Amino acid sequence: MKLKKIAAGIALAALTFGVGVTAPGAANATTKTITIWTFGDVIEPNLILEYKKIHPDIQLTIKKSDLAAMNGTDMVAACTSHTGPDIVAVEVSYSGKWRSYPRCFTDLKTMRTSAANADATNGTDKNGHAVKVSYVDATGKTVLVGTVPAGQSATTIKPNYLSWRWAQGVGHDGSVIGIPTDVGGLEVLYRTDLMVKAGLITAAQSKNGTGRDILGKSWPTWDKFIAQGQKYMSKLSAADKKKGVGFMDNAGAIFAAMLQQGTTKYYNDNGTDSGTIFGVNPKTKKKEPLYSWNPNIKAAWDTTIKATKAGIGTKTAQFSPDWPVGMNTGKFAAILAPAWMMDYVKQQAPLTSGKWDVADLPGGGGNQGGTQLGITSYSNMKQDAWDFLAWYLAPEQQLQVFRTYGLFPSTKSIYNDASVTGFVDPFFNNAPVGKIYSQGILKLKPIFEGELNPAIDLAFGGGLTRVAAGKMTSAKSWAQVMKDLATATRGAN
Amino acid sequence: MSHVVAGNSPAASEKGRPKGSPTPWRPKKQKKNKPAIPGLRSLNGKWGYLFIAPFVIMFLIFGLAPVTYSTYVAFFNWDPLGGQTFIGFDNFTYLLQDDVFWQSIGNTFDIWFWSTFPQMVLSIGLAAVLRNRFLKGKTFWRTVLLVPNITSVLAVAIIFGQLFGRDYGMVNYVLGWFGIPHIDFVEQALPGHIAIAAMITWRWFGYNALIFLASMLAIPDELYESASLDGAGSWKQFRYVTLPGIRNTITFVLIVGTIGGLQVFAEPLTLGGTTTGGDSHQFSTLTLYLYDQAFVAGHWGYGAAIGIMITIIVLIISGINFLLTRQIAGGDSE
Repeated sequence: MKLKKIAAGIALAALTFGVGVTAPGAANATTKTITIWTFGDVIEPNLILEYKKIHPDIQLTIKKSDLAAMNGTDMVAACTSHTGPDIVAVEVSYSGKWRSYPRCFTDLKTMRTSAANADATNGTDKNGHAVKVSYVDATGKTVLVGTVPAGQSATTIKPNYLSWRWAQGVGHDGSVIGIPTDVGGLEVLYRTDLMVKAGLITAAQSKNGTGRDILGKSWPTWDKFIAQGQKYMSKLSAADKKKGVGFMDNAGAIFAAMLQQGTTKYYNDNGTDSGTIFGVNPKTKKKEPLYSWNPNIKAAWDTTIKATKAGIGTKTAQFSPDWPVGMNTGKFAAILAPAWMMDYVKQQAPLTSGKWDVADLPGGGGNQGGTQLGITSYSNMKQDAWDFLAWYLAPEQQLQVFRTYGLFPSTKSIYNDASVTGFVDPFFNNAPVGKIYSQGILKLKPIFEGELNPAIDLAFGGGLTRVAAGKMTSAKSWAQVMKDLATATRGAN
Repeated sequence: MSHVVAGNSPAASEKGRPKGSPTPWRPKKQKKNKPAIPGLRSLNGKWGYLFIAPFVIMFLIFGLAPVTYSTYVAFFNWDPLGGQTFIGFDNFTYLLQDDVFWQSIGNTFDIWFWSTFPQMVLSIGLAAVLRNRFLKGKTFWRTVLLVPNITSVLAVAIIFGQLFGRDYGMVNYVLGWFGIPHIDFVEQALPGHIAIAAMITWRWFGYNALIFLASMLAIPDELYESASLDGAGSWKQFRYVTLPGIRNTITFVLIVGTIGGLQVFAEPLTLGGTTTGGDSHQFSTLTLYLYDQAFVAGHWGYGAAIGIMITIIVLIISGINFLLTRQIAGGDSE
């Protein structure tokens, strides 16, 4: 026990040096500080400013850090030492892990919003009903600020959210450990000019906006998608082929996309906290790890290998230094992209504005990524943190984050709202991105995300890359993945 | 002063100092280590503990305690947030059969090789240039050499990751001038090792050049003068005067480089973008594998066992280094 405490102390000390946690501000005794650990664009600064206006007594201290370290080591250290943030952002691929440790989080079903966000100055009418107030944001748009009536718990706000997405924030003891901020979705971003050049659509179709429907309908399945890719490749000039130009950035992306369209992946939901990686293999009638026999996985693997062998990918790894250059130079014409990636494309390839468009993903809907916010079990600011969360994750606020960063709302209650369905993006050839993504997202079914998901994903990813690099045959690489996974998942339930 | 001391000593007063004697007078019983401030005398020898205390305390907290604790953890199936079960030597027996572990050892030493020896040549060469007494702006050049070293390792790794990019990296661009096809530094093992070694070399060659320079400046000028009188040209001077003169420094740099080489972590992590060290662990290093197993795969006990193995490897290498240094030092005293 003593050793454990020492370890926690060391871990915490390391953490303090590592991420530079600031001590709560002592400047104003009446100011209450809520510390938020986050990454990327999860927390929208304009909304934070707005919240500060409504609540001058609340100081929101935001620490952005590397996702893998924050959702991995840092949170483990914080939970063992019971010292850390009040609010923490957990990415979906890590949600499986943290659902196994609900004791690190506050069960949000037990929380009730105070009257803090429904007070008279900020939108309660004479009868005590919450009303919406609006403000003008930095870009000159009028933004609605939702108010949250008192007494709201995770149970009462649940109907607003996508049910499968909500489930990713529920520990298996039934406690709600996180409320989804956004959902990734997954669609095909494509370069209109390059598709026209290859003859997959005509210039007129690209211009009048029918091109995206024609392309989407031309690839209802992944096999058809690969066929379209081959058609694209056949139209390339010899010089382009020599330069390694391809149809999509990386054929390996198909694996994760396809896997997410099924109902099981690496884990079976057996009603326990952690789920199980085992299931009865229908062929051998024995209990074996799902990764070795789940037909969804094998199908996704085979299709990805097929696409790789067809040569439609450029083997450019996403987020590698070559990737944004490829977006600019037209090295590839298509990316399988979650909604949050649209902002990345805009930032990295601003000169290609208007040349991009969005088409439906083959196989019907997809998801990659998404985040949830939870309150730590050891927070001293639970009430204020919950008041903030309930406000920040209310549909109106999510809409604002969608407009700014393209993070797609997890609140299905606004999917039919004109503000979503009517949202067009000039960067993407005025495509109705809100409509396209929401339709894809609604097609998805829940998948049990388990603790070892990130490690298993890595092993399969490595296996597919080996085949793409020509280092191993598909069968040999698959055998190696099985071997790697036996190591990675040893001792797992 | 010395007279008083001598007078206190009975032996000195008996024999006295023979006046006009050619033999120099030697005090027989002079008090050693007389403190400058008499009051501090009682604390004599104890101040040292105070002065080394900051290091010792930091070492106990951040050095010894984690090492002891991870040794303990290595014998468990350890989940920091869940249960811990004692499994004896299971982690170690598993480790010895783990292909990736052995591969990581091989990778670590390969990267060490590629980062140490070219760097050594570069640093010594650079130091020899900087030693030149006719060089203008000496301080400037010496300061500039330290800049890569004080740059964050992550920043270096990110920039080098771009330089070594497969499609648009500058290295491949330059290689293209000579008709060499693009090399995928992330996909292939040896190019990956060389890319990582280049990052390490970039960070450390200037620093080591300064160490070599300091060592070279300690070589007496007379040696060079007599060498040139004997007709030795600058290469021969370098070969027969400079190199023998910095032999101990070479060993020192080698030892420090080896210890650093066994801890290579950020470079392969950034190059591959994942903790696996490439699709077939082709540039997974020991520390990266430790991190991957403990912090990503969640096998904390196993990660601790890898840490113990790293310690053992470092101890073996330090032992070899120690023997080597002793031999060299012995050779110098002859």
